[in-house]
Amino acid sequence: MTAEPDAVVESEPAPLGVSARPPRSLIRAFWPIAVTGGVLALVPLWLGDSRLMMRLAVDALVFGAYAVAFNVIFGSTNQLFLCVGALAGVGGYTSVILSDMAGLPMAVGMVLATALAAALGGFLSWVAVRRSLDVIFTGIVTLAFSLSFANLVLGQRELTGGETGLLVSAGEDTFLRDRVAAYYLFLGMIVVFLVVFRALERSHIGWAFRALRDNELAAELAGVDVARHRIYAGLIGSAMLGLTGAVYAHSDGFVSPSTFEFGHVDVRVLVMLAFGGLGTLLGPVLGTVVFAVLDELLIGSGQLRTVLYGLLLIALFLGFKRGAVPAVASFLRLLLRQARFRLGRPPR
Amino acid sequence: MTAVVLDGIVLGLQFGLLGVGMTLVYGLGGVLNLAYGQMAVLAAMVVAFTLAVGAPALVAAGAGVLTAAAVGVVLDRTLMRPVYRQRGEHRVLLGLLLTLGVAFVIDGLLVWRYPTGTLRLAIGGEAVPILGVHMRVGSLWATGISLAVAALLLFFRATTPGRASRSVIQDEVGARLVGINPAAVRLFIFALSGALAGLVAETRSMTSPVSVTAGFDFTILALIVAVVGGLGSVAGAFLAGVLLGIVSTVSAYYIGQYITTIVLLAAAALTIVMRPRGLLGR
Repeated sequence: MTAEPDAVVESEPAPLGVSARPPRSLIRAFWPIAVTGGVLALVPLWLGDSRLMMRLAVDALVFGAYAVAFNVIFGSTNQLFLCVGALAGVGGYTSVILSDMAGLPMAVGMVLATALAAALGGFLSWVAVRRSLDVIFTGIVTLAFSLSFANLVLGQRELTGGETGLLVSAGEDTFLRDRVAAYYLFLGMIVVFLVVFRALERSHIGWAFRALRDNELAAELAGVDVARHRIYAGLIGSAMLGLTGAVYAHSDGFVSPSTFEFGHVDVRVLVMLAFGGLGTLLGPVLGTVVFAVLDELLIGSGQLRTVLYGLLLIALFLGFKRGAVPAVASFLRLLLRQARFRLGRPPR
Repeated sequence: MTAVVLDGIVLGLQFGLLGVGMTLVYGLGGVLNLAYGQMAVLAAMVVAFTLAVGAPALVAAGAGVLTAAAVGVVLDRTLMRPVYRQRGEHRVLLGLLLTLGVAFVIDGLLVWRYPTGTLRLAIGGEAVPILGVHMRVGSLWATGISLAVAALLLFFRATTPGRASRSVIQDEVGARLVGINPAAVRLFIFALSGALAGLVAETRSMTSPVSVTAGFDFTILALIVAVVGGLGSVAGAFLAGVLLGIVSTVSAYYIGQYITTIVLLAAAALTIVMRPRGLLGR
């Protein structure tokens, strides 16, 4: 066996994702959200007649909301929460059980469910921070939480319906069950989540996020309370997950363990976010749209879809550590600058 | 009760071997191989396939172990290259995500090709009474093989390649300074880890069927055992494996299957939170 130059000493590797500063002007900071919302709002005009297509579109938006929430936690503060599905499931099951079995009004159920998911996420974050767990241990602990939740749901049959799931009666006669209305509801939620994300980015919390993502030690030395900001991200992201899960449960009318399964939710969200660009504003939305289309194209191929997801995961993290979209965008920017240069105009 | 504990030990020894394969690779360079369980299932499917075409049992078992080891070699030579070029947290994260991708590729291909594939190595013969409990011959074989491999691993620690591996685990730069090539050691350990995964899949199938979808469960079990034993510690993985095996059968017998899984997961989570270096970790 030949000895190989297997570089031990290398320049500081760039972190996954990007941590650019958001634009300072209010309009430049928020117009992308408005445009995205506007474009996505046109989808029902095109697909609204087909119940099946609208169902797929709603599911895609739900994943979009998960991805935005996960982006707050992982993209902004580098906490690998492998319990996206479980936290959404906590929201969904809690809300359904509170409103269907305990007889509370649906809205109250949703609020309590969101609060519970946020508290759990914040707690996980707090544990990770207090015990200063690195990314891998955070991943394992949250994965253990994920699988425990799944087993709990399977085991507590009289409460959750076990493997067969639960039919949800709360929300039955409301607009939630109308697919087009549900589409706009989830789109509204995504827009609100994005606005929250951008507002966070522009606030002092965003500065802290970027600092601790780039270099934790340096951030701590510069006076950033790393622990506190990590917990903020955990709380906010988990609240988004819980709310999305709760609303989805009532809107779909059915919850089962597979709705929130790790292999079904978490991996997909991770791939979507890796594609769109970790830590970017619109990365999760772009990932959502691309994967919704991809899913529709691959609908007949069953297990091969899993293979494709695996290959994508490998290719994305191998080739585009900042996300495929940011990589392409910066390449285009470069081309544009060169074109400007050739035309004799000075580059900006 | 004795029967339950004995079953736990049979199961625990296999947990231990499973954990060793995971913990060695992690100790060597911080890669948590999430495709580990898929390597085991792949081996099981190869055994089932070679048996089906009429090969003798030993040849089939060898083919299974070799296939899993070969997957380990290929992984190390290809995807792990860029991973080992990274350092610290980035290396860990990249290794995790890439092997997760590999897990999905293997899982998808296997389930797509053999949707109902299962391996069940039925070993005939009268049950043997041990401590007043009638143990099935399959369990005894599984235990014998696990113990033999464990003894081999112990012996291996003292050989030159074993010392080289341990020195890389302790201090990579130091190992390079005394002329050890970490890349070669890694290749070897990846192959060993694959072989262990394949072997455990085979011994498992002597007592209960191993289905094509069991990959993720194998990975999680290996992860739990490795974490509780202390990532990077071989002896710890064995100890944790036996302990968790007993806990698992006792809890499954008295409480129920779902709670048992939660107990095992909680053991891993609590270990990380209370004592991150595990039972016997450095």
